[in-house]
Amino acid sequence: MYIKKKQQMAQSQKLMVFVLTMALYGLATLFSELIPKFQLGLIEFSVEYFLFIPLTLAMLFDPLSAALGASTGELIFSEIMLGQFGGLGEIEKFVTVALGVYVAGRMVRDPQNRVRVGVAAFTGTALQLAMGAIVDISKVQFAVEDFESVKGLPESVFATEGFAFANDLLFSGILFCLLPTLYLVPKLYGKIEPLLGMAPRTERNSLEGIRPKTIVACCVVFLGAVCMEFLASSGLSLIDWEASWAESSTAIAVGMVVAAVVAVLAVLVNQKTKKEGSVA
Amino acid sequence: MNAIEIRQLTYTYPGAERPILNGIDLDVEKGDFLAIVGNNGCGKSTLCKTLNGLIPHFISGEFGGSVCIGGQNTLETDVGQLAQTVGYVYQDFENQIVRPTVLDDASYACLNYAYQDYEQRGRQALALCGLQGKELDYVWQLSGGQTHLLALAGAVSLGPDILILDEPIAQLDPGHADAIYEVLKELNQKHGKTIVVIEHHTEYIANYCRNVLLLKDGKVEWKLPTQQALQRVEELQACNIFPPQITVAGFALQQQGRLPKTAQLPTTIEQAKDCFSQLQYRPQAEMNDKPNRQEAVAEFKEVWVGYRSVKGEPRRIFNGVNLTLYRGEKIALIGSNGAGKSTTMKLLTGLLRPAQGEVLIGGQNIKHKKAEELSRQISLVYQNPEQMFIKDSIRGDIAYAMQVRGVADWQQRTEQLLQQFQLTELAERDGRLMSGGQMRRASLAIGVALEPSILLLDEPTANLDIATRKEIMKTLNNMKQITETVMIATHDMQLVCDWAERIIVLYGGEVVADGTRDEIFGNIPLCQKVGIRPPEIFAMAQQLDAKALCYTVESFLNDFKESDHG
Amino acid sequence: MDKLMTKLSENILDKFSMDFLRNQVLKNAYGNDHTLIAKLDPRVLLAWYVFFGLVPWFVNDTVFLFGCFALVTITTLLAQVAGLVLFLFGLGVFSQTGYLFLATLLFGGDTTAILPLLLLTLKVATVSLASITVFSGLDPDRLSIGLMWYGCPEQFSFSVSYAYRMLPLLMEEFQNVLLSYRLRGNPPAHETFKGKVQYLIYQVKIIIHAFYPLMLNTAKRSRTTVEALELRGYRYAASNPQVRKIKFSALNITHRDMLFAAVSFLWVAVTMLLASIL
Repeated sequence: MYIKKKQQMAQSQKLMVFVLTMALYGLATLFSELIPKFQLGLIEFSVEYFLFIPLTLAMLFDPLSAALGASTGELIFSEIMLGQFGGLGEIEKFVTVALGVYVAGRMVRDPQNRVRVGVAAFTGTALQLAMGAIVDISKVQFAVEDFESVKGLPESVFATEGFAFANDLLFSGILFCLLPTLYLVPKLYGKIEPLLGMAPRTERNSLEGIRPKTIVACCVVFLGAVCMEFLASSGLSLIDWEASWAESSTAIAVGMVVAAVVAVLAVLVNQKTKKEGSVA
Repeated sequence: MNAIEIRQLTYTYPGAERPILNGIDLDVEKGDFLAIVGNNGCGKSTLCKTLNGLIPHFISGEFGGSVCIGGQNTLETDVGQLAQTVGYVYQDFENQIVRPTVLDDASYACLNYAYQDYEQRGRQALALCGLQGKELDYVWQLSGGQTHLLALAGAVSLGPDILILDEPIAQLDPGHADAIYEVLKELNQKHGKTIVVIEHHTEYIANYCRNVLLLKDGKVEWKLPTQQALQRVEELQACNIFPPQITVAGFALQQQGRLPKTAQLPTTIEQAKDCFSQLQYRPQAEMNDKPNRQEAVAEFKEVWVGYRSVKGEPRRIFNGVNLTLYRGEKIALIGSNGAGKSTTMKLLTGLLRPAQGEVLIGGQNIKHKKAEELSRQISLVYQNPEQMFIKDSIRGDIAYAMQVRGVADWQQRTEQLLQQFQLTELAERDGRLMSGGQMRRASLAIGVALEPSILLLDEPTANLDIATRKEIMKTLNNMKQITETVMIATHDMQLVCDWAERIIVLYGGEVVADGTRDEIFGNIPLCQKVGIRPPEIFAMAQQLDAKALCYTVESFLNDFKESDHG
Repeated sequence: MDKLMTKLSENILDKFSMDFLRNQVLKNAYGNDHTLIAKLDPRVLLAWYVFFGLVPWFVNDTVFLFGCFALVTITTLLAQVAGLVLFLFGLGVFSQTGYLFLATLLFGGDTTAILPLLLLTLKVATVSLASITVFSGLDPDRLSIGLMWYGCPEQFSFSVSYAYRMLPLLMEEFQNVLLSYRLRGNPPAHETFKGKVQYLIYQVKIIIHAFYPLMLNTAKRSRTTVEALELRGYRYAASNPQVRKIKFSALNITHRDMLFAAVSFLWVAVTMLLASIL
């Protein structure tokens, strides 16, 4: 009975953290979607302005709930609400943000240790950005056929992505993730926990630090996400979708058109008879 | 069988040193309408959370004793099961609403507990709570009162036998407050629900509740029928609870030997009619304070304002409003929810631009001025003080505006303000973690920090218990010397009567009345049309003599004398 | 550059009307529930989306892509999406591939480089419009039921509709906190270029600082919300298959849905025919 109760309580607290992170980070990403991108020449300073919010919360509360809350919030507020949902591409963002935040949250066992907080915030951001860059490069590589053969394209992709990564890490990583987290964590520590009815995190009650198992698990999740991105692509090229379709050509296409026409007619007729039936 | 049986209940919050509930024994009969009263922090809300099982199932802490709801021990059932017997409406009820449309939210719980007819139940609950016709509305379209009714409907939909409401009318204008209590009355009388309210508006207790429970220091002081409970004027006042003004007036008459000591004190206007029948209106020398209108500090000229809406036409808030505020005036802005009080304040602070017309501050059109530039001349204190706290200490918050503007002696002035508003000891605390009254005082201190020539206060007494309200009123009266022009938007008619020198009434996007309290409250057709409810003692005096204009118990006692042949 | 900075520094706090944003988002979610798209069964629309959100990525035939693009443009128009969303769509398409295009030119690519990039842009546009049709055209509650039907975790589908419920509250809170900064703060003068940079930095700083009070205020709210959810059986429902059944019973595939699917199918078939002929 006691254990069950404790679990239930832990669950409710996790739900609170989830809701809190989702709402706050979601709102923040909604704004960042609207803030004009800062462009210097050709290089875009696309800044992950608000990663400090889930980072802070993951260091103070349950890291997993905060991580999932952050990704969910971003997905719902900035992607679905503003119609920016990019299909599979969002899975990558979901996973990279969640992993970055989760790892940073696990790295901090005592939020009063400023050095630890700083290192964790920076690592989390770097991780998120690095994973994002890897996926971005491969995405262009897959989407553009003859990637290698287009003159200037591979170089430009590597250059822009590489620069973007370095720039994001040094510019937004420090200005928008490291400093705000360092500012917020000590300020909120001991104040925000009672509002949620929890005890502040200390060395004793925190989760254990990161062990190899966690790292392996994170890698697996990331690889899984990358695979999801390219699964369809490689699968389709295996069955040679394009080739078979292009070769079988007109005959199959005509067949499909006929089938479609029949389908449309069937629906229309069915509807009409139904209506007449109901009138009679 | 009793609806609620509590035996030797003790409870301590995690990390707290002393128990908040300390040996509570309580029986509540089925079909009772019980009001729980007590000091701030005496454990009223905590007690209610033990009834629906949130304590101990959801909130940890040390729990002792037993709570039985309808014969079930809360320790042996879970929150889900209890929720179908006990409905709960929070004080911050708007966070309780989780779905975007009205019907959805009302039937949400029924759906979760897998009732096939969940929608039907939701509709029924809405009908019971007077929200028919609103089923398809979105929750953000509802007024504060309707939102509260929706929270109630959400609780009612499960068909619980017991309903608990935590301060149901704290944020509402009198019209909506009546609506809530009428709904509760019907649920109680027609549907046999047991109703428990935490309430400090004793006028409503007198009119609606059957029994009163006084909590003191985590213990039950007594539970008595309302009529008897409210007779204990001194005891209640010692606990910072203020009995109805009529009862207080009766008590004072007893003390002055004008009523027999043995007589029952009246608690409602009905009862008082007999009790005070020998009194006649004999007004003392009339006070005549002519308003001093020399210099206009703010002006509205033919102002039109509309709001975008999600669907359909934009909503009109102001239809050509003309208004002038003069230096040194103490103005109350009244009108029901949504009449345009907040809009007026936003226009004055430059946060909202009129669609047509002009707003002038100090004779200058503010069309092209930014809100930042106006903030030295005019300052706004929000209804919700939490949103004024942007630093991690009260000292920081008060100092902020002066500090960034480089006001010469800002440190000294901060100390002075802290002292003036009795915040010195709290100076290092975060505003959010203080009590309601302290928060409010702090927000007032923040508002006057820049010594603005116009100070705007949005509902400064909302959500406060009566004792804290009195304290804030005192602060406001003290502030009269340090601020020039003050305008308060409020539903609190006692505050209006005690404090305001000029009253502006908004209704349907227009200024329908503008004058002294006698001109406004004495105009009965106006009050009825706009839904203004004067303080109870004023209504009492009117009952006895239609010419009487008494705004406080003191003036009532002075202006009414025993008739010669009585 | 100067002009850009002016635009930037004015944009963030001054012209940025929270009311406008809130209005657009809500309008987008709930203001168009009378349209043809909104009345369709969410399951059909999601299946439709899976096709138009995926297939264009893997097809390089220009004719076929144009055909799909035309169809999703029509459905987007039918869905009567809010202006802000369309604006962001335009911006998004440009920022995803437009900058690559410029970069390719810079690194000495010739005109042949343009073609694959235009193709990529077309793909991005098609996929984006398909998602706008579905996610903006559908009422969020129907969307979340549809997602649940496809096995999406309960917590996610709840979050979708809860987010819409929270948005107005959160925005108001944020707006008021920012207001406190605006009214009490003292922003640097921003007539000169240096001033403008300072002003921009000031604004960003304010936004970050504003999250301190916002976090605490939201924490208070979320506690009540989670307690209320518990009372209202949120966790109960998650473990009860009966509840899912009741929720799904509100879904109903009608002729309209079948017609929509059949017409889309016909369209694709004709497009393929054209692609193979041309």
